[in-house]
Amino acid sequence: MLNPLRSEDDAFRLLLYAIGVVVVIAVLVVIVRAIA
Amino acid sequence: MEAASIPHPAGHAGGEHHGPPPAHHSSRVEAPLLGMLLFIISEVMIFGAFFTAYFFIRIAEGEPWPAPGMHLPVPVAFVNTLILVSSSFTLHWAEQSIKRGNRFGLKAGMLTTFLLGCTFLFIQINEYANLGFAPQDHAQQTIFYSLTGLHGAHVFIGLLILASVTVRAFRGHYSPESHRGVEVPGIYWHFVDIMWIVVFTTVYVL
Repeated sequence: MLNPLRSEDDAFRLLLYAIGVVVVIAVLVVIVRAIA
Repeated sequence: MEAASIPHPAGHAGGEHHGPPPAHHSSRVEAPLLGMLLFIISEVMIFGAFFTAYFFIRIAEGEPWPAPGMHLPVPVAFVNTLILVSSSFTLHWAEQSIKRGNRFGLKAGMLTTFLLGCTFLFIQINEYANLGFAPQDHAQQTIFYSLTGLHGAHVFIGLLILASVTVRAFRGHYSPESHRGVEVPGIYWHFVDIMWIVVFTTVYVL
């Protein structure tokens, strides 16, 4: 299980996940705004 | 010399032990990691309070974001985001290098991370100097400076820690067996990066 406070490895993986999630959310919002 | 005749507890036979007794550990988590865990939890609460104010100002008041006359330099902030994210990659490289006994990778990674962090902070200060609005102008401007400034303060503290780790790395500290001094600041730096990604997305993009 991912625990970003356990090791630098896990913290780095969380950073990558955060980038992925934020990019997806930002793209979705931009698309919705363009359509609306 | 009365004290010398007092029998010592088991494990300290012959009075060989000096200094305070060993600390009792009631947790299975190492003390440095536990400290960083509690610290980051408190940090999440601080950022949470600032984000609450941000969303209140932006949504409850129903005014457009950014307010008229409040121009945000999104391209510059985006490049700055890439710089900060890159610093996490170089820090990860440094940590992986010392785990494998690669001292050059540790030193190069730490130095690059530190310089990238300095570049980020320099660009942000330069951005503040050229924004054209002040914190006292409006609530939106206030929360903009508060959120980005709070994060900038964390970057500054992180840079102090990274400078210490970098100097120690160049002095020959750390080894594949003992690199907690790189790992714990690394966790903090990644946390600072994640917070910036959230700040950048909410303040500049959305």
